[in-house]
Amino acid sequence: MSLRRTFPLLLAFLLFAEATLADKALPPTVIQDPYYGEVLFDFYQEDYFPAIVKLLAARKASRLPNHDAEAELLLGGLYLSYGQHLRAAAIFERLLADSVDPSVRDRTWFFLARIWHQRGYIDEARLALDNIQDELPGSMDAERRLLLAQILIARGEYAAAIELLDGWRDRTEWASYAKFNLGVAMVRDGQVAKAANILDELGQLEPFTEELSALRDKANLALGYAYLQAGEPREAKKPLRRVRLNGPFSNKALLGVGWADAEREEFGRALVPWMELHGRSLLDPAVQESMLAVPFAMAKLESISQAADHYLNAIEAFHEEDDRISSTITALESGRLLNSFLADNAGDTTGWHWSIGELPDGAETRYLYHLLASDEFQEGLKNYRDLDYLARNLERWQNSVGVFRNMLDTRQRAYATRLPVIEDSLERANLEQMVDRKLSFDARLEIIEKNHDALALATDQEFALWGEISMLESTPALSADIPEALDARRRVKLMKGVLQWQLEKDFKERMWRVRRDVRQSGEALVDAQRSRRRVNESMRNEPLTFAGFDQRIGSLEPQITELRVRVGDAMDRQRVFLQSIAVNELQAQKQRLQTYTVQARFALAAIYDLSATGGDIAP
Amino acid sequence: MVKFRRASGVLGALMLSILSPVALAQEPAADGLAQEEFRSIDQDVQSLKDEVLALNRDLFLLEEELLFPANSQVAFFLSLDVGEYFVLDSVNLKIDGKEVANYLYTDREADALVRGGVQRLHLENLKVGEHELIAVFTGKGPHDREYRRGATVNLEKGLGAKYVEIAITDRVSKQQPEFDIREWE
Repeated sequence: MSLRRTFPLLLAFLLFAEATLADKALPPTVIQDPYYGEVLFDFYQEDYFPAIVKLLAARKASRLPNHDAEAELLLGGLYLSYGQHLRAAAIFERLLADSVDPSVRDRTWFFLARIWHQRGYIDEARLALDNIQDELPGSMDAERRLLLAQILIARGEYAAAIELLDGWRDRTEWASYAKFNLGVAMVRDGQVAKAANILDELGQLEPFTEELSALRDKANLALGYAYLQAGEPREAKKPLRRVRLNGPFSNKALLGVGWADAEREEFGRALVPWMELHGRSLLDPAVQESMLAVPFAMAKLESISQAADHYLNAIEAFHEEDDRISSTITALESGRLLNSFLADNAGDTTGWHWSIGELPDGAETRYLYHLLASDEFQEGLKNYRDLDYLARNLERWQNSVGVFRNMLDTRQRAYATRLPVIEDSLERANLEQMVDRKLSFDARLEIIEKNHDALALATDQEFALWGEISMLESTPALSADIPEALDARRRVKLMKGVLQWQLEKDFKERMWRVRRDVRQSGEALVDAQRSRRRVNESMRNEPLTFAGFDQRIGSLEPQITELRVRVGDAMDRQRVFLQSIAVNELQAQKQRLQTYTVQARFALAAIYDLSATGGDIAP
Repeated sequence: MVKFRRASGVLGALMLSILSPVALAQEPAADGLAQEEFRSIDQDVQSLKDEVLALNRDLFLLEEELLFPANSQVAFFLSLDVGEYFVLDSVNLKIDGKEVANYLYTDREADALVRGGVQRLHLENLKVGEHELIAVFTGKGPHDREYRRGATVNLEKGLGAKYVEIAITDRVSKQQPEFDIREWE
């Protein structure tokens, strides 16, 4: 195969996101086996499943003699991209031990750690990170340290996480995330005061990206609620008011600001943020809570009838919302939601990098927005999607195998019909006799050449002429001693001389032509013998070939059937799992609404009670 | 359709989620059972994928050997080593006057070729002997001009399997793409 430009593969998959960069920066590699290039063609299109199949097939058929070692690495990379992390790890553990460039080895472990962490394989992720020996390039090293900190926190090793994060001294956005995680580790380690300082510092950073703004909001929210819980409402307001008015955390912050005022008996002030929440989406728990908070403040401000109206509205709204959630649960249990994911995010690409691009329309997705974004759900959905791909793949093969069997039967029948005809014609073609005739021709030619027998190569016409001349020569009348006979004898002699001269002149050329024709016949005979051997061989092998195909089809067919059943079962299991976490989430939302409803009813009863007896209202 | 927004990028993924200080102080892995169930399903899926991949490998080879036996098989590959002077749009392939492939490239496919992928354009059964191959390419040449060019070659098919590489390369001296058809036994 010709020289082909491509960049080193290992880096190609390790730097999937930065692949174009690597493409430009790295020296070219030579593709020597076209089947290897064919795998790359699929790989570069992120069609990992067919790429793996073609690579496995090419290896089994020994089509990659020049890419043996690379093929193994490529396979590891493809497994990694396809989400076969356990397979990928087994290959890397074997290959990366000694022979590969250390920087490549470290990156490989890093990406494996990332996948494992995302899939919840915390211990494996930790081990993979431990395998990294040197500093990773660019921001990858910061990401590695953050990942390690997260793993330490997940494993409850707070002191180690704090030690790792505390020394982070740069001014990048990574440092801000490190600081946030440091705060988390400290809170969980019981160092609440120190954590508060860190969150306060983070809550005042000057964000230069949307992500940093969100992080700043998150820190302020956490700090504000920490103060609220500690009974320090005045302190709580400061960080809560730093949260942006329109962001993912704004509702919760507005609610908190209201509570901070309410804690200080400033119910009029509290109503301002709570009323702001009133107009927002009821899907948000903070908005739901505000529907109770508003009438609570109103009652405190002695607007009893308004408070009663708000409680009644809240009960009504909670009831409607509860109904909607119940129908969502029913829809979920019917499997419609998951199927809509398969339909709306179709396309045959599979693998670890896949994520939901767009949510399908429908009420379910509104309630599950946060859940759908979680790793747990996303990873489960990836599996579900991959299983669906496998199911369709196996269905296609099952149909194809039926076609293969028909094809084989047809071929066998055609062979059986043709075989007697071929055998008959082979019998009639006596090649041995032809060879004998050719050999006798050779012998005759030898004699003709040796004797310079020009007449032997004469044409039929010349031969007839020669015969006539000879006959004339022996005519008795020509022997008479008269002038006419003498003249006739001279003419006959002249004719014979001319003919002989002609024959002698053409002898060499005729000899060459005859030899050429005999040689060509010999070659044709050799070809015929060769074809006959092939036909004989094919007659011997064909039944074996048929039997071989028959046996292969026979063994693969039940495997397809069995795997289809198992894939179907796994899909059911995955669906039930995904549905159960979604339903649990919805049940929690229902539970919260029911609690709020009880609280509203209780408060309403208290108001009615108050109207009757006069007194204070409990929240 | 609701546009979906995940906590974007790596940074988002590295934020430990908190919605309240209670969550901030929560011990991790609150739902250990769900995590265990996820892992168990995940491991099953991994092993199923493995088995289906191995089965696909065997079926892939069976199909190829059945439809294109080694003694008559000819595989036509297309490779591209261009960037500057040619952007590939389509390829048309004729064998002995009969059109066997007419392929239009998507951007993704063209990009995969530029990055070093090699496409198996066509697989054919051919008898022993001589055959004529005509390949016609269209695309964008230098200065974004429409480009169309053909190449013809007579192939000699022997007894075993054979592959033919149709290579398109940039020719710096003439500032244009060059087509080259090579045969491999």
